[in-house]
Amino acid sequence: MAILVDKNSSIVIQGITGREASMVTQHALAYGTKIMAGVTPGKEGQNVEGVPVFDTLKRACKEFEINTSVVYVPPAFAYDAVMEAVGNGIALIVIITERIPQQDAVRFLAAARQNNCTIVGPNSVGVITPEDKVKLGAIGGDNAARCFVSGNVGVISRSGGMTAECAWMIKQAGFGVSTCVSIGGDTLIGSPPKNILGMFEDDPMTKAVVMWGEPGTGYEEEVAAFVKDKGFTKPLIAYIAGRFVEEMPEGTVFGHAASIIEGDYGKPSVKMAHLRDAGCHVAENFNDIIPALQNVMA
Amino acid sequence: MARVLENFGKDLLKENGVPTPEFSVAATPQEARRAAEKIGYPVVLKALVTAGKRGKAGAVRFASSPDAAAKAAEEILTMTVHNFPVRRLLVEKKLDISQELYVSITYDPVQMGPVIIASTAGGIDIEEIAAAHPEKMLKYPVDILKGFNLYEAKEIWSDLGLQGGILQKATNILGRLYQLFIKYDCTILEINPLALTPKAGLIAAAILMGVDDDALYRQTYFSEKVEAGSDRAWRPLTDLEKEMIEVDKTEAYRGTARYTEMEGGNIGFFCGGGGGSLLSYDALLRFGGKPANYTEFGGNPPEAKVKGLVKGVLSKPGVKGFYMNLNITNNTQTDIVARGIIGAFKDLNIDPEKFPAVLRLAGVHDAEARRLCTAAGLEYHGDDITMEDTARIIVEKMKKAFPGETD
Repeated sequence: MAILVDKNSSIVIQGITGREASMVTQHALAYGTKIMAGVTPGKEGQNVEGVPVFDTLKRACKEFEINTSVVYVPPAFAYDAVMEAVGNGIALIVIITERIPQQDAVRFLAAARQNNCTIVGPNSVGVITPEDKVKLGAIGGDNAARCFVSGNVGVISRSGGMTAECAWMIKQAGFGVSTCVSIGGDTLIGSPPKNILGMFEDDPMTKAVVMWGEPGTGYEEEVAAFVKDKGFTKPLIAYIAGRFVEEMPEGTVFGHAASIIEGDYGKPSVKMAHLRDAGCHVAENFNDIIPALQNVMA
Repeated sequence: MARVLENFGKDLLKENGVPTPEFSVAATPQEARRAAEKIGYPVVLKALVTAGKRGKAGAVRFASSPDAAAKAAEEILTMTVHNFPVRRLLVEKKLDISQELYVSITYDPVQMGPVIIASTAGGIDIEEIAAAHPEKMLKYPVDILKGFNLYEAKEIWSDLGLQGGILQKATNILGRLYQLFIKYDCTILEINPLALTPKAGLIAAAILMGVDDDALYRQTYFSEKVEAGSDRAWRPLTDLEKEMIEVDKTEAYRGTARYTEMEGGNIGFFCGGGGGSLLSYDALLRFGGKPANYTEFGGNPPEAKVKGLVKGVLSKPGVKGFYMNLNITNNTQTDIVARGIIGAFKDLNIDPEKFPAVLRLAGVHDAEARRLCTAAGLEYHGDDITMEDTARIIVEKMKKAFPGETD
């Protein structure tokens, strides 16, 4: 078990012939992930690292039973690619593309909800389940085992880079990860932390979760309410970055586009207070994640 | 988001059938006087800046005579509103207002869709409306796939108590505002107040409009009119910040970086990732460090871009140390980052012996990064220590090298 991806994941990469996507395909195959097909219009018949390329997702789905798609299509074409995945009934769509117009995101997120598709991202670095050697996206690069070893801790991160760093901290603490999810740095995303937490609650492999939070949005507050309502009952260790932003003039944005503070909305200190109040383990310093984890896993 | 100046926003309203007061843009008191003469008194003069809350800053004045208009213009043109120097102002017909409505459209991160907020208690900030008149305010989520029908606009205003001619006018305007929001890839569109005037009916007296940076490629109307990311700063961009944007534009699809100058400080800050940079800055402050700037970068930048960025970071007056902290990379090639940094130090003739520097560069190709940094005399760390530990090290180094400069 794990969440989102496991040995039953049958994967297609949309935009597979791009520079970044080809490299990621190579790394994923080397890791042991099965990638069935790729889609790039006009390039049917080619292959990337031995993975066949199709013009349409429809044709790829005819050849293979696909349930998962990774979207690497440039921003101007990402909307249509995601709609193509929704239209072909792909259950899980992980969107790596950054800088997709908000209106496009809102449209495909609404379409996905109507069709019961799960979207992770946009602006995600990927999802990884080390036990089954499945990784989607650049997550872990060419040396996933450096940070991501199999174990019982789930990771939810608003930062792609810090997904790896959180997994590495868990490894330093002497544990491993069930699934790590980079949910994306945008405001409008398919799977906010609360949704992922609900999946971890139902996953017997996951015994605890580490969450990386940032200024802006109400995601961490939603998580606190969810924990309070017993939606998530396992230990949750949270770290909220960007406390200095509270001291800057209002409206200033550092880091991801979503990390904007307005009034009390989005303040790290407020998020930390909510999470503490709900009984979560809030790490004051990032280093504190290690002892906190050793404590709850003991 | 890119903020749209009020004159451009009002041009768009007019083009899309939403009435606005007659207005003109002026850059000198003489121009303001002429504009006022043409428009007719009384007039209102407003600073034309992207900062909000101009009224509270004293940058909105009224005038009933040519001399008063010129004097008000002169005063406004010497002002700096929330750090933005005023270069031009809007001269506008002062409205005779009998009621003020409020309407805004944004994307809501809980609904993950457009949300309309309407109120019959306009003219004050939405926070104040929510606190003082919650019963006069309505929040309405729109199903973006179905679109926004005129009957929905009618229901919103009717539920808020509007009737008769004003109900019909408000319905039409709200329908048009939603279309405009979609058509121009807005991230916010706020009309406050939407003013009811005895003579001219409903008029959009003030507009706040933001356009999605990521949609500017297809919103050519705004080219040369807005500055991408202008909502991210609390003041206009500095010269160095503008230069760094140009550096970032080279090989635009390989690596992205954003540079912000901070007040004072002595540590040049070049840290990695939207998240990792937040952690690094927090940690520096906690240990008593004084960062002079804030640069976040990611996405596997080429060597030349790294070099250009680091040179910018180091060139800010007062920078006497360098801190580069990066999370263990997924795809960023650390050897290339190292080469860029070393190149910048060389170009600027900085002797690493006399210039405290700490680098944490773990991930893709980090054996090579370690070799390069060590050979260049730069203190290198990989995944042997945590990101917070490196912050402590650079701050200790700075305190040792420049006692009395910290705290």
